[in-house]
Amino acid sequence: MDFVAGQPQPVGHLIQQQQQQQNVNTHGQDFPQPHHDLQQRQQHHQQLLPSQLPQKSLVSKGKYTLHDFQIMRTLGTGSFGRVHLVRSVHNGRYYAIKVLKKQQIVKMKQVEHTNDERRMLKLVEHPFLIRMWGTFQDARNIFMVMDYIEGGELFSLLRKSQRFPNPVAKFYAAEVILALEYLHGHNIIYRDLKPENILLDRNGHIKITDFGFAKEVQTVTWTLCGTPDYIAPEVITTKPYNKSVDWWSLGVLIYEMLAGYTPFYDTTPMKTYEKILQGKVIYPPYFHPDVVNLLSKLITADLTRRIGNLQSGSRDIKAHPWFSEVVWERLLAKDIETPYEPPITSGIGDTSLFDQYPEEQLDYGIQGDDPYAEYFHDF
Amino acid sequence: MVFSLSKESQAELQLFQNEIAAANPSDLLQFSANYFNQRLEQQRAFLKAREPEFRAKNIVLFPETDESLSRPQSAQSQSRSRSSVMFKSPFVNEDPHSNVFKNGFDMDPHEQDAHQLSQDEQPHGGEKGSTPPLPMHFNAQRRTSVSGETLQPNNFDDWTPDHYKEKSEQQLERLEKSIGNNFLFNKLDSDSKRLVINCLEEKSVRNGSTIIKQGDQGDYFYVVEQGTVDFYVNDNKVNSSGPGSSFGELALMYNSPRAATVVATSDCLLWALDRLTFRKILLGSSFKKRLMYDDLLKTMPVLKSLTTYDRAKLADALDTKIYQPGETIIREGDQGENFYLIEYGAVDVSKEGQGVINKLKDHDYFGEVALLNDLPRQATVTATKRTKVATLGKSGFQRLLGPAVDVLKLNDPTRH
Repeated sequence: MDFVAGQPQPVGHLIQQQQQQQNVNTHGQDFPQPHHDLQQRQQHHQQLLPSQLPQKSLVSKGKYTLHDFQIMRTLGTGSFGRVHLVRSVHNGRYYAIKVLKKQQIVKMKQVEHTNDERRMLKLVEHPFLIRMWGTFQDARNIFMVMDYIEGGELFSLLRKSQRFPNPVAKFYAAEVILALEYLHGHNIIYRDLKPENILLDRNGHIKITDFGFAKEVQTVTWTLCGTPDYIAPEVITTKPYNKSVDWWSLGVLIYEMLAGYTPFYDTTPMKTYEKILQGKVIYPPYFHPDVVNLLSKLITADLTRRIGNLQSGSRDIKAHPWFSEVVWERLLAKDIETPYEPPITSGIGDTSLFDQYPEEQLDYGIQGDDPYAEYFHDF
Repeated sequence: MVFSLSKESQAELQLFQNEIAAANPSDLLQFSANYFNQRLEQQRAFLKAREPEFRAKNIVLFPETDESLSRPQSAQSQSRSRSSVMFKSPFVNEDPHSNVFKNGFDMDPHEQDAHQLSQDEQPHGGEKGSTPPLPMHFNAQRRTSVSGETLQPNNFDDWTPDHYKEKSEQQLERLEKSIGNNFLFNKLDSDSKRLVINCLEEKSVRNGSTIIKQGDQGDYFYVVEQGTVDFYVNDNKVNSSGPGSSFGELALMYNSPRAATVVATSDCLLWALDRLTFRKILLGSSFKKRLMYDDLLKTMPVLKSLTTYDRAKLADALDTKIYQPGETIIREGDQGENFYLIEYGAVDVSKEGQGVINKLKDHDYFGEVALLNDLPRQATVTATKRTKVATLGKSGFQRLLGPAVDVLKLNDPTRH
């Protein structure tokens, strides 16, 4: 990765880089094999396109179909759909497919976020971010094909161990920082950081998933979104906001990893929001003084004091004493032993670390009348 | 086989059965786990409050637990936490691949505490290194993301609220009092607050009718003008209230299922406000303010050279303050570091021996020289009306963008 910390780079640079990458990958083993004729058309298409393709997203639109995959168990559910383990009928490898119901997306007024999610996922490429291979749709659903990350959610590990020891929390936090730094460097804000959205790969490295609220923002944005325990005060008060909100959430995440609970939790979201606005944080006595110092600079409403949002950006965080033993270059290269290797057999679709979800009758693959077609051209 | 259950158990099961019948959950076990956790919490909270009373009578309420064990966690995570996770230490001074870490940790004494709790502590508690259990009300389940509608505040200019109706002064005052304590409203400026109140829609509700239903989508916030209402959670009455009270405020932030059912216990007169109207007013005012900040920062000669991005960062970080008539904002001769933008109001600028030398009002600014030098204030600025300013200090500026002198010089297009 030739990415330099804290330096905003035009997204175009990234697209090109990915473009090249993909030309190579199309023939690689790691790729779910698309329909033959589609693949040919694809390659033809790519040759004709100028190298500074404005949107890589065009490339993989409708690249796969439901027939390319065998749908297996549910790995997670959300407000608009669910994530399945699937197996490519071409190469036998396992992938995850996120299925979203069009009707539900439209009803919940999340069309824009969903299209952003696709666009952002196609743009990003980083060791700690989930990789999307392509998307397709039928009359009722949209499908996003992604890597299957076998180690389950950081959330499950955290609840199982109740709290993480200081160095373990530090390890995960450090990997999250590299991912956020990369996103911010491309003017993408993530907006939904929490243990539920962090997966662990077979070796125990993180992969941030669910780009449902990720957005490319040049100056500021306004939409109230996130997860109540993790939302920054400027979002609650309807102020214009930017990357600063992710650093706030990082603070809450580190706090939760170390304490086992979040700093502003309460019985109702409204009470949580009131606490967030009051901004009083109680640090348990077993928190290391360095991390208390770091958290007091992340979980602060004062944007002129919130570390990550200041002159040197994420470099301030990386240089903080709590991270003093982290060799960032090695971390990025995954050259640091992870604190926990998920006990799974890799490559065989082992889902033992994912919770069980009730399965339901699937309505996938229905063609024909699509009242919402106009909203999802990109898929 | 037939078990004979105690009356209490039967009653509990009956309650549970009703609950299942009402909810018809797709995931029965998850539902049941949540339900019983909630019941347990209710009961424990109820008993806990009375514990001293019982202790005085020598009755032990929680015989099967002691303090350190009364863990509030869900049954699921409790059983899971039994199987402890062994972590290796990812960061050490020596080679991270040395096998020291395979059998657990090798951490400095400072981290010993943290280490021990990961091993899932000492069942009897109280030993050195044990930490308090997780708090009672923390929701250890997966948390759902929430999102409001994406609105574009720049195209609200030709928008007028649907239910705008001027309220009388009396009504205004009363309504302002009703909603004043809520953080959603108390941050509004007086114009927006008035507009919001004038957008409240009158609704009559008959005695006995359901105003909102638990689990339904929520789009409205309500203020009770006349009458009384009861609140139910899972068919259990949890509260009741009357005139001046309000409910359903979460619906003003985003669409989420109602947390309770509200039933009118007399004929009611309510004021209702929908989310879209509210958010448009809020966003519209926030957006206008932002434009004003941006314009003002652009017109300040000292800041003229900043990039759009830097200016946005400053605008985000501005702090607001209100001064009453007669209050001094800055004083001649003081060491000052803030600059000020006047959102509204009026101030006099005066100098020792010269009296008032200037008058400033809405959208003027002052004190900006403090960013560049450390000279004492050259004049006194006093509010003559109620005045709201947006302000930022030199140190805040420096933390955000670097030393003001350098940044402003660096960006100065007239310099080489």
